[in-house]
Amino acid sequence: MFTHIYIETSVADHPRTQEICARFPQATRVSCERYGEVFNPKSQDFRLQKARPALILASKHGNRVLETPAGYGIGGARNFYFSHMLNCLYDCRYCFLQGMYRSANYVLFVNYESFEEDISRVAQTGNQPAWFFSGYDCDSLALEPISGFAAHFLPFFAAQPNAWLELRTKSTQVRALLNREPLANTVVAFSFTPREMHRSLEHRVPTVEKRLDAMVQLQQAGWLPGVRFDPLIYQQGYQAQYRELFSEIFRRLDADRLHSVSLGPFRLPRGYFKAISRLYPDEPLFAGPLAETAGMLSYRQDLEHELTGFCIEELRYHVPEALLFPCTVAA
Amino acid sequence: MINIVMAFPGEARPLIDCLGLAGRDTRGPATLYRNETHRLVIAGAGKIRAAAATAWLQETGPDSRHAAWLNIGIAGHASRPVGSGVLAHRITDHGTGKSWYPPQAHGLTMATDNLITVDKPETGYPENALYDMEAAGFYPVACRTTTAELVQCYKVVSDNRDNPVAGVTPKSGAALIVDRLAEITKLLTALDKLRAAVSARRGSANNLAQFTNHCHFTVSQQHQLEKLLARWDALLPEQPPWCDELQAQQQASHVLHWLEQHLNSVPVRLG
Repeated sequence: MFTHIYIETSVADHPRTQEICARFPQATRVSCERYGEVFNPKSQDFRLQKARPALILASKHGNRVLETPAGYGIGGARNFYFSHMLNCLYDCRYCFLQGMYRSANYVLFVNYESFEEDISRVAQTGNQPAWFFSGYDCDSLALEPISGFAAHFLPFFAAQPNAWLELRTKSTQVRALLNREPLANTVVAFSFTPREMHRSLEHRVPTVEKRLDAMVQLQQAGWLPGVRFDPLIYQQGYQAQYRELFSEIFRRLDADRLHSVSLGPFRLPRGYFKAISRLYPDEPLFAGPLAETAGMLSYRQDLEHELTGFCIEELRYHVPEALLFPCTVAA
Repeated sequence: MINIVMAFPGEARPLIDCLGLAGRDTRGPATLYRNETHRLVIAGAGKIRAAAATAWLQETGPDSRHAAWLNIGIAGHASRPVGSGVLAHRITDHGTGKSWYPPQAHGLTMATDNLITVDKPETGYPENALYDMEAAGFYPVACRTTTAELVQCYKVVSDNRDNPVAGVTPKSGAALIVDRLAEITKLLTALDKLRAAVSARRGSANNLAQFTNHCHFTVSQQHQLEKLLARWDALLPEQPPWCDELQAQQQASHVLHWLEQHLNSVPVRLG
């Protein structure tokens, strides 16, 4: 899977580093002082690297737990995100990571214990429960067989009464969850776009059916999954495509055993949009009816209202209003 | 275009012959050989000369932003056998301690190793790494104009602890390169594929001349036109934009308005 693994010298002897490297005996190991030396140089091409990404094992120093942008959340008053990993196994054309990072290499921060200390501290500082979103700069579960992220963090969150965890994913890697008792304070949220958009935009992502299979398994095991329609994408015939997607999802899932359903329109900061559309100049997604407002590229306001309004109305047929959370900020 | 930077004529000769390079040009600061697709410069020894030759190629090249760059030469290594071909996955300037990490996106199964650029030939091989005298001069300069995936350093091991550098001659250096020509050719092909992939993305906004010949566009309007034509290519790849309705627009502002209105009304079909 990886031809090269870059390793920060400070984590070379970390047990998690050793374990991961043992899985890839053929990979060439390259030592570096800080992951930024490999990951951050300007003259890199995300699209070329995406075809053959390398793995970078590093330690995250500081800023491990950050507040989410205003408007991001699913009902909680205190919302934070943390990223044990940068970049994603999947290759979704709309993903903001392509514009945010120059490199498509996967950075995995192996110092999970430091994240736990920070999460614990933040959770205990307020009276209200704190939400911790893990799938902001990566897919929470896609690399689970290698990272062991969920297997490690679930027992930790089980002992955090004032903390909620959202794992956000498009993967079907749910074994770590099925292998243990469900947690009342953990939401496993799966993202979807209609089948037609999945085919053209979500490369390497498991099919809608396979993701639904994983969700059904989780529900049957007692977990409360979430559903995310974020970003909402516009194309000709989107109404029929989203209607069919909603029907399929809520035909298979028990709406009474869902934690939440959230949705948010396609939006990208101007700089990210510019970088991504340069990588994929032939992509119709970026040539469509977009407009810039306050440094953010999104669908023209009339279109965004139409698309969001349509999806909310349709979702009301399937799920109670209390479970619906329209997201008002960019991904 | 692939630009190749080498230190010595003896090492370069096998590649010059293999690639069919001609036109020995000595007018610049380094000797240059070329054909339609490759340029090879003989820079001389040392990182300063390598950097200068690379910068010179950039300034004089037809298309240095869309080019691939390869530094080829011989190098020492503590333990690798003489004759081994190795790509650098980390280049360190011994003088400054600065390191660079050429991304390995070429897809070839090739040995890679750390490469340390020194100012004088290394005879003690203190680290288990390649030792050369050019890469740290070449690499950062080449990366100034192109993406790092298109810039690589390939070294053939010429000496090690059992075979001291004192025994390396121009003739033996040339023979080592000859033995690795097949691998070098593979590398050139792989880099050219990556180069072509990047280059293809940058070649949008076709038909621009048709428009600018039709009426006067200011610089700012030309930028707008390029963006609109790129959108056109993405949304209507099968349909050329130049049509009767568009030809009827006599002013640049009208042309731009028509294009924008038309594109906004096109139904978006993804994939």
